[in-house]
Amino acid sequence: MRHIIAILMQNEAGALARVAGMFSARGYNIESLTVATTHDPSISRLTLVTTGDDAVIAQIINQSRKLVDVLEIADLTSREHLESELLIVKVASTPETSTRIADFTHRRYGITLDETPSTRTLQFTGRGAHISGVLDDLAAFAPVLELARSGTAALDRGDLVLALQD
Amino acid sequence: MNAQLEATPEPGAHPLAGTPMTGADIVVQVLADEGVGVVFGYSGGAILPVYDAVFRFNHEHPNADGSEPLPLIVPANEQGAGFMAQGYARASGKVGVALVTSGPGATNTVTPVRDAMADSIPIVVICGQVPTAAIGTDAFQEAPISNIMASCAKHVFLVTDAAQLEATLRTAFEIARTGRPGPVVIDIPKDVQNAPLVFAGEGQLAIPGYRARLRAIEDAELDEAACARFVDALAQAKRPLLYVGGGVVAAEATAALRTFAQALGIPVTTTLMGLGAADTTEALSLHMLGMHGTAFANYAVEDCDFVIAVGARFDDRVAGVPSQFAAGARFIAHLDVDPAEIHKVKRVDWHHLGDLSRALDALRRHAAARGFDPSGVGTWSDWHAHLADLKHTYAMAYDRANPRIQPYAVIEAINRLTRGEVIVSTGVGQHQMWAAQYFDFTQPRRWLTSGSMGTMGFGLPAAIGAQFARRDLLVVDIDGDASIRMNLGELETVTTYGLPVKVVVLNNCGDGMVRQWQKLFFKGRFSATDKSLHKKDFIKAAQADGFEYAVRLDRPEDVDRVVAEFIAFPGPAFLEVMIDPDAGVYPMVGPGMTYGQMITGDHIPSRAPAPAKEAGPSEMF
Ligand SMILES: Cc1ncc(C[n+]2csc(CCOP(=O)(O)OP(=O)(O)O)c2C)c(N)n1
Ligand SMILES: [Mg+2]
Repeated sequence: MRHIIAILMQNEAGALARVAGMFSARGYNIESLTVATTHDPSISRLTLVTTGDDAVIAQIINQSRKLVDVLEIADLTSREHLESELLIVKVASTPETSTRIADFTHRRYGITLDETPSTRTLQFTGRGAHISGVLDDLAAFAPVLELARSGTAALDRGDLVLALQD
Repeated sequence: MNAQLEATPEPGAHPLAGTPMTGADIVVQVLADEGVGVVFGYSGGAILPVYDAVFRFNHEHPNADGSEPLPLIVPANEQGAGFMAQGYARASGKVGVALVTSGPGATNTVTPVRDAMADSIPIVVICGQVPTAAIGTDAFQEAPISNIMASCAKHVFLVTDAAQLEATLRTAFEIARTGRPGPVVIDIPKDVQNAPLVFAGEGQLAIPGYRARLRAIEDAELDEAACARFVDALAQAKRPLLYVGGGVVAAEATAALRTFAQALGIPVTTTLMGLGAADTTEALSLHMLGMHGTAFANYAVEDCDFVIAVGARFDDRVAGVPSQFAAGARFIAHLDVDPAEIHKVKRVDWHHLGDLSRALDALRRHAAARGFDPSGVGTWSDWHAHLADLKHTYAMAYDRANPRIQPYAVIEAINRLTRGEVIVSTGVGQHQMWAAQYFDFTQPRRWLTSGSMGTMGFGLPAAIGAQFARRDLLVVDIDGDASIRMNLGELETVTTYGLPVKVVVLNNCGDGMVRQWQKLFFKGRFSATDKSLHKKDFIKAAQADGFEYAVRLDRPEDVDRVVAEFIAFPGPAFLEVMIDPDAGVYPMVGPGMTYGQMITGDHIPSRAPAPAKEAGPSEMF
């Protein structure tokens, strides 16, 4: 099953590698990983998406919680949560397709970040499935030249806040 | 220390607070402050400033008797230093320290660091590193130690900001010794060692997540309701059993455990790591359980209906088939300090995370307050009688009439002379299991063995470290002819420091334990495990390394006499015993087998006929 794991950790060299190592050491592939500093600059938040056996993942989470740099870790999968992802994609543009690309981008709540006579660079956000759908539809009429996806970021829905239990 | 007191320190402050020091001097001062009495290590370019600081510290602060306050013990190989630090830690409960240079010096400690992690042993390994600016340039003797060690150790620090050095050192000791203990590695670039700093005498790094989790466990108390649930279930039990692991030794909870077991009349079996937590000579002690546990302990596990696991983790050498482990137990309770161990292998019915002694005391008091009387009419007397019968019927036994020296007899002979008043270390293999099975263990921290990693070569350096921790106790290394080869260079370390360590090599001309598995699971094809054509003369080797007592024992009739003179020898002593190469380790719960299918060998009776099927070896380990 797909798991979305949120981790708060000290913003230290090596901390990210240690957490990632807990998964790679078991041969688990990390599908996506986003990490950035939070509103507290000493703390980073990491969202990790992986697929695997529930019991094994529960064990990895328990063992990751022992890492000295880790402040809190939670599997958001089974809780109500919000997911979002960012896509930046560069497509080929011709005089025939440019209007259609602009319309499509507008309709799918995207932004045009950059344009040249032969390319358009677009940005879309939303759940991973939504982003994938956007990409498929876009690629159907505008050849994709390159793209970067941020990977999933996630938060609990509602009042629940992931924070160090004190 | 070359620095002078500059200002009058604040009351309660460290007397050297405010003193200018180099990073290297700060390393040594924090070691001294942490109560480190001995450092095991090997020098080299990237750690030279710290070695120089140790030299100056010892020169300037001699003990009253003229000895050095921080002696540096130099092994033959840094792996030896790591295991010496471990032997020191295991025997004393204090943090052991190894000090090594960058690159090869540091990578040579990977094995003892991982070994310490696997057995939860507190050590701090300080490594020199190439200067900060050279890191990542493939500099001479550079290795990515923080990366390598991160996946092996409890924690690793790479000190790139000299201002953090002092706090980092103190925090490393804190992490090593608190919670579930383990190894911490500090990688210190040479420029940080040379940095001109000011000693603060206080301060730790902020590790809020770790400390919050630690505090939650340290403060946890068993409430009345939890005690009541435990005691209610226990009152229903007819055949309760304590299953005790190394966590009890690590937590210094031996006294509480013994009081609990005695007050409630509950028999105890321990894991390999737990040996010494209970006194194995007592009536309600069943010695070791597991793959090579005693038959009576393993049958008791089969027969019990209530398990109390204390500081134990149902690992594969105990619960090879987790679903079948203690299958008759209607209730399993688990006490530990590590949340990740609860339900990891086996789901339990009740658990408590917290200080083991306080928890055992609380349960005992709760039981007593409810008038729980195990000796009361018939409570567990049937169970006690059953266990006495198991211990009698399925006692450890071997071929006493065999014309070749039986290894068990050698250990029994040593045990008759020592009776628990000895620290025993081991290599890994059959000799390790024979030592575990045939020695009496009356106290904790006297059994030093590489349990989880099973690292050959552990025994000799661990014995050396232990002797530094306990100058007052006899230290015996029971080693194998293959295991001792791995760190044979440390024989010379024994004589260099004049340690009265007793080294026994049970020589079966090869990798006996592996041969045993080849015999059982690979139709006797002894691929690469026979050393009968090897040329080593262990006696000459020991003599060459300065052992005045180095004797080969090859006649059964000489065992008692030679063992006695060997143990009584006042200095370093080496004894090679040519044992029966066919001697096996029994009982054996083969991989993938249940306790009910235990093979007891030719001399211990079995409750069930041995399974005829040959195990499929591919997945077994
Ligand atoms: C470093 C290391 N390499 C390999 C092994 C695998 N192994 C386990 S026991 C053993 C044989 C040990 O032989 P010896 O020390 O002579 O002990 P014996 O079983 O003969 O008593 C081997 C090779 C190990 N445990 N450790
Ligand atoms: Mg051998």
